[in-house]
Amino acid sequence: MIWHITRRELYDNLNSLRFALTTMLLLALMLTNAIGHLREHPKRMQKYNDAVSESMTRMASHTDDSLYKLAQEGPGKLYKKPSSLYFCAAGGDPVLPDTIEGGSPFGYSEHLRGVWKLKYPDANINMKRVGPDVTKLDWAFVIGYVLSLIALLFTFDAISGERERGTLRLMFANSVPRHIVLIGKFLGALISVSIPFTLAVLINLLLISTSNAVHLNTEAWGRLGIIFLIALLYMCLFLALGLLVSARAQRSAVSLVILLLIWITVVVFMPSTLASIASEFSPPMSSEPFWKRRNQIQEELWQKYSRWVWSGKVDKETLTGKSEFFIQDAEAEERLNQERLTEKVAQVQHARAITRISPATLLQHLLESFAGTGFERHLQFVENTHRYARQFREFVADTDRSDPESLHIIGVREGMTKKKILPEAVPKFEDTLSLSKDFNTRATELLLLVLFVMVLLSGSYLAFVRVEV
Amino acid sequence: MLLTLIRRELLDNLMTFRFAAAILIMLLLVVANTAVLIKDYERRLEAYNTAVQKHRQDLLETKTYSAVGLTAYRPPNPLSIFNVGLDKRLGNTLRVSYLYVPTLWDAWKHGANNAYLNIFASIDIVFIFQGILSLLALVFAYDALAGERERGTLRLVLTHPVRRGHILFAKYISAMLCLLIPLLMCFLLVLIMLTTSASVFLGTDDFFRIGGVIFTSFVYLSLFYLIGMLISAATRRTGTALMLAMFAWGFLVLVYPNMILTAIETDPHTDTETSVYNQIKQIWEEFDRERKQFLANDPVPGEDWDFGLWGDDGYTFWGGTDDSSKLLYYESTGFHFETLKEESEPQVPHAQNYHRFFGLQVTNTADRTWIVRKPALEMIYVQPAKKEQMLLKFSPVGLYDSATEAWTGTDLSGLQDFFMAGQRYQQAVVDYFLDNKIFESRQWFVAAKGEIDWNMLPQFSFQRSDIGTNAKRALPDLFLLLILNLILFAIIFLIFVKSEV
Repeated sequence: MIWHITRRELYDNLNSLRFALTTMLLLALMLTNAIGHLREHPKRMQKYNDAVSESMTRMASHTDDSLYKLAQEGPGKLYKKPSSLYFCAAGGDPVLPDTIEGGSPFGYSEHLRGVWKLKYPDANINMKRVGPDVTKLDWAFVIGYVLSLIALLFTFDAISGERERGTLRLMFANSVPRHIVLIGKFLGALISVSIPFTLAVLINLLLISTSNAVHLNTEAWGRLGIIFLIALLYMCLFLALGLLVSARAQRSAVSLVILLLIWITVVVFMPSTLASIASEFSPPMSSEPFWKRRNQIQEELWQKYSRWVWSGKVDKETLTGKSEFFIQDAEAEERLNQERLTEKVAQVQHARAITRISPATLLQHLLESFAGTGFERHLQFVENTHRYARQFREFVADTDRSDPESLHIIGVREGMTKKKILPEAVPKFEDTLSLSKDFNTRATELLLLVLFVMVLLSGSYLAFVRVEV
Repeated sequence: MLLTLIRRELLDNLMTFRFAAAILIMLLLVVANTAVLIKDYERRLEAYNTAVQKHRQDLLETKTYSAVGLTAYRPPNPLSIFNVGLDKRLGNTLRVSYLYVPTLWDAWKHGANNAYLNIFASIDIVFIFQGILSLLALVFAYDALAGERERGTLRLVLTHPVRRGHILFAKYISAMLCLLIPLLMCFLLVLIMLTTSASVFLGTDDFFRIGGVIFTSFVYLSLFYLIGMLISAATRRTGTALMLAMFAWGFLVLVYPNMILTAIETDPHTDTETSVYNQIKQIWEEFDRERKQFLANDPVPGEDWDFGLWGDDGYTFWGGTDDSSKLLYYESTGFHFETLKEESEPQVPHAQNYHRFFGLQVTNTADRTWIVRKPALEMIYVQPAKKEQMLLKFSPVGLYDSATEAWTGTDLSGLQDFFMAGQRYQQAVVDYFLDNKIFESRQWFVAAKGEIDWNMLPQFSFQRSDIGTNAKRALPDLFLLLILNLILFAIIFLIFVKSEV
């Protein structure tokens, strides 16, 4: 019986104008998305590879010099690897920094240079571009905005339309349970929206995967599968919403107006307005107190160590004093930098958590994390660099320890091994992403989305059961 | 007759649920967003004020002319609440130096505490109208003709001796009157919130600019109403009309503006970038050669440019900038002493002599690089931006956006006004330096506390362009919107007159 009603709905939809328009719109969007990605991605990868190899060359030159130079200059700039699924969700990546600096020690004077520390550059807003600002055309946009609107357009008259035409009465005259009708309608709409969407997705992926410019591995395909399923879930949410309002409204026109207003509020305005309101709370340390604290710490260190730092002696005490000064100074600054970063991140996380009331934001977050872009990905990148920094420091200490002639005083030339080190032995930074981790962090959001769907579906069931014809 | 028709339509529209719901949502959004936007403006204004004050203090503490760092700060535009445009995105701190002519690409930003917040989109009043007003207009229009035709009332009305043009006109007028209510209510609310806020000061001109924004919004609204009416006139059934209207909205407002810039690539001029950059570098190399030649030929032997001066708390600097993406290249050299040792005094005239030459040459070099740099920057950054803007204007949304940007002065030309003022200021400072022989003065490199009156330096001042200029910039787009309105109305009229009932 369900299948019968579903089929009827399906035939109804497939012949309609909206189906044709939807197919055209989605195909155009996904084609543009694929073309844009094929054009942009090689450039992005090229830029990343160039930057990484330049960073490597610089590090190799330090390695050639001595272990001291390597320990002083550090690993240089660490770059975030662009995701091959960038086309799914650009996710604020254009405004997030793509690099973290592990290098450029502070030069107190010509002969006195500290050791490297991690630095977090601010977002890279492109202040040079003077063109108009538009949203990136990614899957997140197509699904979040366009597909949700289409889902509403397919369901706003599902029940109210039949009521207007009187066919609902006719149908209830038969001995069909109401929930069967509802499920049939839901499935019918789901299938008829899924057809053009799936088609568009397939063509998009066909274009992207057949090109030489982009390589998608098995994991990427797995991620794409998950993204597709999330898209279907998100679509179900709006179909359920459409059915709910359609069951309650007396006329289709009213139903549509209500749905459009809900849509525009929830999808377009809530994510940004709520974020702006939420970020009013918990503002991070501003730059002036930050510099004040930084200077204070530095002064204390100067007072403690100044008698060794300017000394030209090379006895063990002076060298240890120098080394301690350099290392503690770098540590203090790194700690301060990290503290500030944590505060900034907390502010953004706060805002992000509040905007999760909107399903559009949920979708955006989910897509971002499965596509390996966006804010969470940036945090992972930061974590990766921390891990690497530890590894790098351990490597320096270990290499130094393996030389019995060395004084084992890190950070001063006279106190460290003079043996040659092989450039291959130095650990390389590799930015990685793991799927299992994404699953854990995103489980709450996925659950929330499912919850939304369940609530709306049961709501529409209740509304439909109690509807008077 | 026309009045009767209008009255009938007006009552029909005003008493509907959709109208009430739309007004409510719009007011809610406008109030919430205006509060956020005003807060944001206040923060930016405060950052601006602190920056200006700090700069003033720093300037008064400077002791030599060569150590002076003049900076022009761009105040936030209070009308950016209506359309933020480029106001928040472009740099607001401009270093003014005799070494180069400053442009908007050389500016940077102060006062952003957490740049990560940029991942959230910012919303302004015009953005709200762009989305909701157009939707509202379409919802009003889709059944204006098709609905009456379906219900048969159109036939009934036409049995009376009414001209078809009158019916159309009455429908248009009454719907526009209805739609004007939420529009004006929203603007009224925003204005009330703006005027009661302590930090936002609006001049008479600003109110006229806001008037311009309101008028543009009205024309935009009318355009979408006419699009809906066209669909309604061309279709037989309301269901079809509704679908077409919704897809038209989705395409024009949602899809087209975001799609077109991905689809069409604006070509980067990397070739001009490198060639012009090398040219600029060559000009500086030439300067360096001449400088060395001068040093070789002057009475002091050698090419040493600090003339063996000795002093306390002094430093020599030798640096510069090379950023090929901005086409910015310069070298800055100089020295600064708090006090000069007695034995260095005989060298001072030589250093002054050198700086006379240096000042003339370096300002000349800056002017020469500017001749090459200006058109190149125009070509690399402004032209693609203009092309992108042009592409966006194929949708009414793009026209509306750029027209309101022009009214509020947050468009590219509006912001360029500030940077032009910065360039004029730079010229004034350089002229002041040359005219008063500052380069060759002793205070150029030796501190003389109290001897320099910093108030004598030209002051930077910037006034937003007057309302006439804003109007001139907004008019082309506004005119296009009006023309589109007229064309659509004519087409609807033709279709409606010829159609069978």
